[in-house]
Amino acid sequence: MKDQVLTVSDFIALTNQTLEYAYPTVTIEGEINSFKVNSGKYVFFDLKDNESSINCFMTIWQLRNPIQDGMKVIVVGTPKLTKWGKFSLTVRNVSPSGEGAIKKSFEILKAKLTAEGLFDESRKRSIPYPPTSIAVISSIQSAGYIDFVTILNERWGGVKILTANVQVQGASAADQIIRALRHLNSLSDSPEVIAILRGGGSAEDLSVFNDELLVREIAISRIPVLVGVGHEIDESLADLAADVRASTPSNAAQILVPNRFDAMRNVEYRIESIRNIMSGRIDYIISENNKILSGILNKIALRLENLENKISSLTSILNAFNPKKVLERGYAIITGKININESISIRTDKNNIKAIIKEIL
Amino acid sequence: MKVNLQKEIEELNKIVEWFESSDFDVNEAIEKYKSAEKLAKKINSDLKQLKNEVTVLEENFEKD
Repeated sequence: MKDQVLTVSDFIALTNQTLEYAYPTVTIEGEINSFKVNSGKYVFFDLKDNESSINCFMTIWQLRNPIQDGMKVIVVGTPKLTKWGKFSLTVRNVSPSGEGAIKKSFEILKAKLTAEGLFDESRKRSIPYPPTSIAVISSIQSAGYIDFVTILNERWGGVKILTANVQVQGASAADQIIRALRHLNSLSDSPEVIAILRGGGSAEDLSVFNDELLVREIAISRIPVLVGVGHEIDESLADLAADVRASTPSNAAQILVPNRFDAMRNVEYRIESIRNIMSGRIDYIISENNKILSGILNKIALRLENLENKISSLTSILNAFNPKKVLERGYAIITGKININESISIRTDKNNIKAIIKEIL
Repeated sequence: MKVNLQKEIEELNKIVEWFESSDFDVNEAIEKYKSAEKLAKKINSDLKQLKNEVTVLEENFEKD
């Protein structure tokens, strides 16, 4: 090469070819410095450590997480020599690194999206319970997905589960999940709910669920979205944008479908309640009928009593006029012609007497 | 035979609602009770047997 004379442009092109061959992609951890956005499109910053610094360039659309000066980040990009002879890194991805930076980036994006109303309760939609079809976005090899399917199968049946197999961590995970979301939303036979699932992990593992574009895609999904990521203590922006949040993939299964044994007990309870209602109603009808019957019997008894009283009163009257009763009181009945020496019959209570009239006064 | 568990449960709920309403006739109630009991047996049998159907999409989401 030393005898070959190159133009400056050729030299830069050759250097870039060599760099591209030697370092097609580099991943560097460093601290952000002199962060700025030009014309709302181009992002410039320096990536530095205690001793060195490198210029970085990317477009605003590639910036998926909020960053600011002093933040520790991991940058994925390609080294390049510009035509002005300036060495820089063309960045494809930048993500916060370390607990402090991740937390800071999370808080900045959370505040921004909250201000836009992305997490408003009024945006939340309900999910059919239990759904007949569920689309799942997850890694089919992950423990979280296996737990979800296992628990779903234990709890309920008859559900169509459509799984989009994606990476749930790493640089391309957010884009894969976004593509899966778009694909599922475009299906003519739409699932009733989309569940985005991933088991627990470190803050860095779960940082994909704080990706701005992914969070926005969840918020605009035509189909209601459930996010079940990480363990209970973790909260991601994807959780906040989702219609329903589950603390874990297992919890997602518990939220989505009822327990079949509870449902069976509920069916038994319903039959029991029908039996009780029916028995209560029949008892009521019997009691009402008894009341009516008792009323009729009371009326009949009253009528009989009245009749008895009437009969008794009539009997008393009849007795009063009974000649025998008169005779019992000491009176007598005399029959015959009233003439001197005429024979007459006298009937007393106890005797029938024949007598002759001796004198008529 | 395709089992529509949800439809069966809704049907049972309707029968329960009928019993809870004031519109009660003993003869009709006996008939409805019989159908509720039959339906409950079917639901419980379906609940025991029904399986989910898992399909993994063939699409590759790694690239656009």
